[in-house]
Amino acid sequence: MSDDRSSYDPDPVEGGADADIGRILRQQAASAGQALIFPAVALTIALLVGAVVILATGNNVFEAYAALLRGGFGSRAAFGRTIANATPLIFTGLAVAIPFRGGLFNIGGEGQLFVGAIAGVWVGLTMPGPGALVTVVGIVVAGLAGFAWGAIPGLLKIRGAHEVITTIMLNFIGINLAFWLAKNPLAGTGAVPGTDFVPDNVRIARLGGGLGGAHWGFALGLLAAVIAYILIWRTTKGYEIRTVGLSPGAARYAGMSVAANGFLAIALGGMFAGFGGGLESLGTFGKVSVPFISNLGFNGIGVALLGRNHPAGVVLGAIFFGGLAAGAQEMQFSTGVPLDLADVLLAIVLLFVTATKLVEFLLGRRARSLAVGTRLEKGLAG
Amino acid sequence: MDELTALLASTIRNATPLAFAALGGLFSERSGVINIGLEGMMLISAFAGVAGAHFSGSTIVGLLVALLVGLLFGLVHAVASITFEADQIISGIAINLLALGGTGLLMVIFFGSGGTSPRIEPFGRLPIPVLSDIPVIGVAFDQSGLVYLLYALVPLSWYVLFRSRFGLRLRAVGEVPEAVDTAGISVFRLRYIGVGLSGMLAGLGGAFLSMSLLSAFTEGMTGGRGFIALAALIFGRWNPVGAFGAALLFGFAQAIVFRGGIGFTIPREFIEMFPYVLVIVALVGFGGRAVPPAASGRPYRKE
Repeated sequence: MSDDRSSYDPDPVEGGADADIGRILRQQAASAGQALIFPAVALTIALLVGAVVILATGNNVFEAYAALLRGGFGSRAAFGRTIANATPLIFTGLAVAIPFRGGLFNIGGEGQLFVGAIAGVWVGLTMPGPGALVTVVGIVVAGLAGFAWGAIPGLLKIRGAHEVITTIMLNFIGINLAFWLAKNPLAGTGAVPGTDFVPDNVRIARLGGGLGGAHWGFALGLLAAVIAYILIWRTTKGYEIRTVGLSPGAARYAGMSVAANGFLAIALGGMFAGFGGGLESLGTFGKVSVPFISNLGFNGIGVALLGRNHPAGVVLGAIFFGGLAAGAQEMQFSTGVPLDLADVLLAIVLLFVTATKLVEFLLGRRARSLAVGTRLEKGLAG
Repeated sequence: MDELTALLASTIRNATPLAFAALGGLFSERSGVINIGLEGMMLISAFAGVAGAHFSGSTIVGLLVALLVGLLFGLVHAVASITFEADQIISGIAINLLALGGTGLLMVIFFGSGGTSPRIEPFGRLPIPVLSDIPVIGVAFDQSGLVYLLYALVPLSWYVLFRSRFGLRLRAVGEVPEAVDTAGISVFRLRYIGVGLSGMLAGLGGAFLSMSLLSAFTEGMTGGRGFIALAALIFGRWNPVGAFGAALLFGFAQAIVFRGGIGFTIPREFIEMFPYVLVIVALVGFGGRAVPPAASGRPYRKE
């Protein structure tokens, strides 16, 4: 552990590095279809366990699940609630998916989102000028704050501290920092602890069209997913990030910097979480109150995994998570099944979505572990 | 009770749930299984203890239920991450979410509504004769039985881990599972025991919260203590005595928050950041780097 690069354990490289990288990337593409079996298995188990819980509460399983579906997707208003929930999750999902491609596991979405949220509100409350300009600057600053917060574990990684631990710790540091800012330099005049509302002309406009509280942040979320796709799959830098994530040894042999690409991947992830935070504070809530929304960062991990760390999958995963949360309210209202069931369902999905051995048992052959190609496979110390 | 005594008493009360959960994390991570589900294991056991005590009318029965449910959640983590080779981090996050949703659900099913459960009879204080009469530090021996259990478990954990054959094997499985397997010892079995112990110890921490520190269950009452325990474990260098010391330090920080300062004011947000900042400092190596068990996070697959 004396060498500061020892955290990037070199893989043995067989043959030429270029051939090796090409082979790995082709294998990865081939396994994409097979990979869908993981979410399918996890969802099935979750729905079965959910059915047992619904029966235990003395309700009809089909009625409860029908209400869940109706509440998430049954009407314009329901869909509006779903995409309003999904908006920040697209960003916190990308915040996990992008670093993952670079071989880093970002559990820091929660803190990065909070830092972005407070930075966005700071701009919204204090910057003079036309409303639309302030909004745009606010969102950009939120992203930059998230980038900075994501850069810290990137730097610490180079010093040999595993990002899984540092991002967990930075979550609580970021949350407390945001709360302190919201209660002190940015404290509002209202009775609720936190900042004031940003001016109406700064607040992100709603989509309208009967979609309720859903705002233009959702459109930005879709745009962000497209940008993330281009960044990671259509640029040279993205190719480097993916190569580093799949095989650090081969990447180094090909002259790519493992440290620099890993750093960039997690800082970019932080940037997306920061954007998501800015959209929540400037859009959905118009302020940062204490306590603020929670678990969006952690749920982003589930969103990314369900979407197999691909931007399109992240969007679908976020809509699924958002729909489940929206539907749970309708389910509680019309059948009396507590809405906490949604959290239980998500928990079970998470529990099994990476269950390699279970999938292998069902498939009857070896499956590609989610962690293959990331340094997580080598453990926390590696 | 003078100010210093009160501060020490508050430190011990705040440190106890952290130390239990940190010892829990210790047995899991020393066996090579990361446990970031400590928070959830504490929460579900805090609920189970209160529910058990409420329906049986006995605090002791409640504690046993808390232990059992802690073990059960430990086994969920074990089945997912050891047998099914699910990612250990994600399994831990799932445990936290499962406890959060599960306690919300069970509150409605058992008590008719969410929020706070009915009050139960908590563990009372059991002052130890003579020791509890010592000025200032005597307050450490005027606590509930669970605190004394913790005092006993810290050296016991150290002995088991570093002086017993089981401990040697457990640590080996967390560093070089292949070697343990080659020696004909079951990696799976040792890891199941480590993670099971982890659930029970975290469960004791949760039970202390709802059955000794307070006398009811409130949704989300662990409030991040499982993560502070994780910080204590890392800052204590994956060593029971170190983890206990770190828990005391972080408990002291909380005591300052709850008691409203010690003469000068530091905003509570900054005091709450303190454990996490210390961990990062420890990880990058000031004063001897904190290095996790080598195999932690890596599923073991027999080749």
